[in-house]
Amino acid sequence: MGEKEAGQARFPEPTRKGEIILRLSEFEFPPMQDVLLTGRKAPIGPEAVRRMVEALSPEQYEIIRLEHPLFDAVVLKKSLLKLLPREKLLPIILEEGERVATENTIVKVHVSVVIHVSRAVEL
Amino acid sequence: MRVQDIMSQPLVTISSDWSVRDAVELMDRMKIGSLPVVEDERLVGIVTSRDVRGAHPNRLVADVMRMDVVTVTPESSLWEAKELLEQHGIERLVLVERDSPVGIVTKSRLYAELGKHVDSLTGLERAGLLQRKAAELLKQGEEITVIFLDLDDFGVIDKEYGHVFGDEILMLVAKTLRGLMTDDVDCLCRYAGDEFAVVTARPLDEAKQLALRMVTALRTESWPRGVKVTGSAGVAGGRRHPGRQAGNEICTVSDLISMASLASTSAKKDRKPVVVAGKVELTEEVS
Repeated sequence: MGEKEAGQARFPEPTRKGEIILRLSEFEFPPMQDVLLTGRKAPIGPEAVRRMVEALSPEQYEIIRLEHPLFDAVVLKKSLLKLLPREKLLPIILEEGERVATENTIVKVHVSVVIHVSRAVEL
Repeated sequence: MRVQDIMSQPLVTISSDWSVRDAVELMDRMKIGSLPVVEDERLVGIVTSRDVRGAHPNRLVADVMRMDVVTVTPESSLWEAKELLEQHGIERLVLVERDSPVGIVTKSRLYAELGKHVDSLTGLERAGLLQRKAAELLKQGEEITVIFLDLDDFGVIDKEYGHVFGDEILMLVAKTLRGLMTDDVDCLCRYAGDEFAVVTARPLDEAKQLALRMVTALRTESWPRGVKVTGSAGVAGGRRHPGRQAGNEICTVSDLISMASLASTSAKKDRKPVVVAGKVELTEEVS
């Protein structure tokens, strides 16, 4: 056995293998859910959000530009504003958003509004 | 001189749907500090190196640009541009023609150019302003008047006390005269050496009164080292000529300045404080 052959026996050729993993799930549509809060230094700003929203769900969202230390805009599903006036909803969303977000993040918020009605009728 | 004469060219613009990263690269590559933002060739904003600093590189230019762009037309004068820059506290103006940006003029470039038109000793504008202001006033109204004031025997002060002291006196003369001017009505400049001139929207009689106040102020001011400073003034008025007609000779603003200057020489010769040359018909053309 020559010197070269002996070396091959001691160090076998390395093998490389690839593995493909696919995770399939349904695209959440629309991706912004009920409310989107865009941080002042987030990768997308109000105008980009506006263009995205107009392309994905035209006429369904309202974009409100903010003078706020963390967020520069909030995107609200218009149907929510039929249940609650904006001036009631917005302070709550901002107050809770401030607790979890930074100016670099975009936060999507799922809002569930339940209206309790109790009416009396004449018997 | 117009802003178009000093604007930066070629103009580099950016589209609002480009990213901040693109804007930074473009500014670096072109060695510029701002980019007018355009959509369909229309100016919609401006993005500066300050706007992109700290912004996420993925952001759209539309999300970092400022939309309140202060613009001028290419035909605007340097002084109009200066007023706009100071009024808005900004560093640059975008030149716009039919909603499309055609150039940029920066504060430093504008001030460097204006420096050529401002007298560094007295801070007054130089003679070139007189022509421009006269033409401007003539466009606004019917009448203008030029006051030409020549200091008497100023060379004697220079000879006896030296030019440094002479310069000090010239600065004080400018300050004294400036105190008599009314903004937006009178425009004072250092014409040359010891000569000062005012172009004013006042009618001839009122301008004569102003000229008298100027001469009196110099005479009654207490000057350093007790020197005496006096001046002689000439006044000439011009009325806008209604149209080109054969017959009467139509004068230019330059002719009016010459008349006032000659009147100040007569005043000096005749030892009168003020001599009024009269009123002539003027064309708006600046010669």
